[in-house]
Amino acid sequence: MTSRLKAVPLRRSEVKEKVLCIDRLSKGFHTAAGYLSVLDDVSFEAESGELIAILGRSGCGKSTLLKIVAGFIPPGSGNVLLNQKPVTGPGPDRCVIFQEDALFPWLTVGENIAFGLKGQKQSGKSRATEMNRFLKLVGLNEFRDYLPGELSGGMKQRVALARVLILKPSVLLMDEPFASLDAQSREEMQNLLLRLWKELSHTILFVTHDVNEAVILADRILLMDKNPGRVREEIRVNLPRPRKRESSAFMDVSRRLNEALRD
Amino acid sequence: MRKHTAKMGSAGLGRVLPVVIPTLFLLAWIVVSTTGLIPTYLLPHPLEIAEAGYAYVLGHPGEAPYAGRFLGDAGASLFRVGCGFTAAVAIGLPLGILSGRLFVIRKLMSTSVNALRAVPGITWLPLALVWFGIGMKTTIFLVALAAFFPIYLNAATGAGQVNPILLQAGAMMGVKRLRGTFAILLPGAMPHLMTGLRLGLGISWAYLVLGELTGVPNGLGAVIMDARMLGRIDMIVVGIIVIAVIGRMSDQLLQVGMRFCFKSARRMA
Repeated sequence: MTSRLKAVPLRRSEVKEKVLCIDRLSKGFHTAAGYLSVLDDVSFEAESGELIAILGRSGCGKSTLLKIVAGFIPPGSGNVLLNQKPVTGPGPDRCVIFQEDALFPWLTVGENIAFGLKGQKQSGKSRATEMNRFLKLVGLNEFRDYLPGELSGGMKQRVALARVLILKPSVLLMDEPFASLDAQSREEMQNLLLRLWKELSHTILFVTHDVNEAVILADRILLMDKNPGRVREEIRVNLPRPRKRESSAFMDVSRRLNEALRD
Repeated sequence: MRKHTAKMGSAGLGRVLPVVIPTLFLLAWIVVSTTGLIPTYLLPHPLEIAEAGYAYVLGHPGEAPYAGRFLGDAGASLFRVGCGFTAAVAIGLPLGILSGRLFVIRKLMSTSVNALRAVPGITWLPLALVWFGIGMKTTIFLVALAAFFPIYLNAATGAGQVNPILLQAGAMMGVKRLRGTFAILLPGAMPHLMTGLRLGLGISWAYLVLGELTGVPNGLGAVIMDARMLGRIDMIVVGIIVIAVIGRMSDQLLQVGMRFCFKSARRMA
């Protein structure tokens, strides 16, 4: 593959490189009621800069899928390849935004954002510059010295975004990150994510059970089945951006997905 | 978490309330002593106590039986508590954290710790006397043994209860084990660690007195025992008050010190 790419140089716009490759992934757990297959033969690929939503009802294994990609749990069988290398554990090239609050409560907003940089060879001054840049990027300038306990849910997730974006991960893994926010904050966060995505062009896997969220965000939606978790359908969302939630095209896609989720 | 700013009224109330019970107690004491409700050979008048205390703390040696002995006694006792408590922290804290995180260590320790914990600390006194003789070593041994359990148990609970998602967050940000321990695990467990240290220090003072009751020449416990044999009830009470004051001060010093050294103690415990 690499040799052919060298022999026949292609323009980036024509063939995007595959950043993430999920290859026949299966996972099951032994429970009191017997063996439970959570993921069954899931395969897909993510191109560089692509925003993929994984949509499914609770219990379809979408969070498990994300945890395997993150390296928190090993796959039962199959492989996760990141830039052609198999994933063996968690690392800063695949950062996670958790659904629940995972900030360090004893560190201020600024310290939380700079936390991941501490391990890197960088001067304190350039770390501070980076921290301020990402602080500004998520719009929390004035909250640098606040503790997480003093922030609202939406602001906490902004900090969570900043502290991983600062590490420049290859893939951003988001596990229903806005599910516990109120409707207004959720919409705000979705817009912020789209703005940051446009600016920094990350590859994003976004797990959600919210159809509208999937449609507003994603280039491509993987619709997941339950028991066992499988990718049932792959929907490319060709709506132009910025997308309007009120437009009839948007509502058509939503309706189709809602119906698909129901049966 | 940062504390919310107290309301105007509750700030003053917060300063008054802690002294209400001691003041009432002192008043009642004055009343029962002055009226002779309780005879002075059982409980001397507060003024007598104050005089004895003044002589003990500020008097010159030789003026009176206990005059000016305070510094020497307090110094000896602080040294013993310091040694015993430090030993308990040095062993109990790391061992507790390990047993909170590692199944093998937890199971390995469980029988011994729980069995030893069931034995009242005072039971060790005769054995300690045989092993270490009267004095310094016995006292330090008893203090270390007694302080070990609250420190160990709270460290184990704290380390075991650190939200796993914080450790996951650290792992995904590329934090390795060593930094994870010091930058995530310990701060995350800080409220429990702090509780353990404070309980341990408190119990250190209790066992200090026990160790010193056995007949060491100096120390706050020794003064109390000595005074009992000489029938100086006033000096017993002085000894009790001095231990209460120093014990409280050492607890506050511990908290201030921890808050000064660790962000997590400053912001969470």
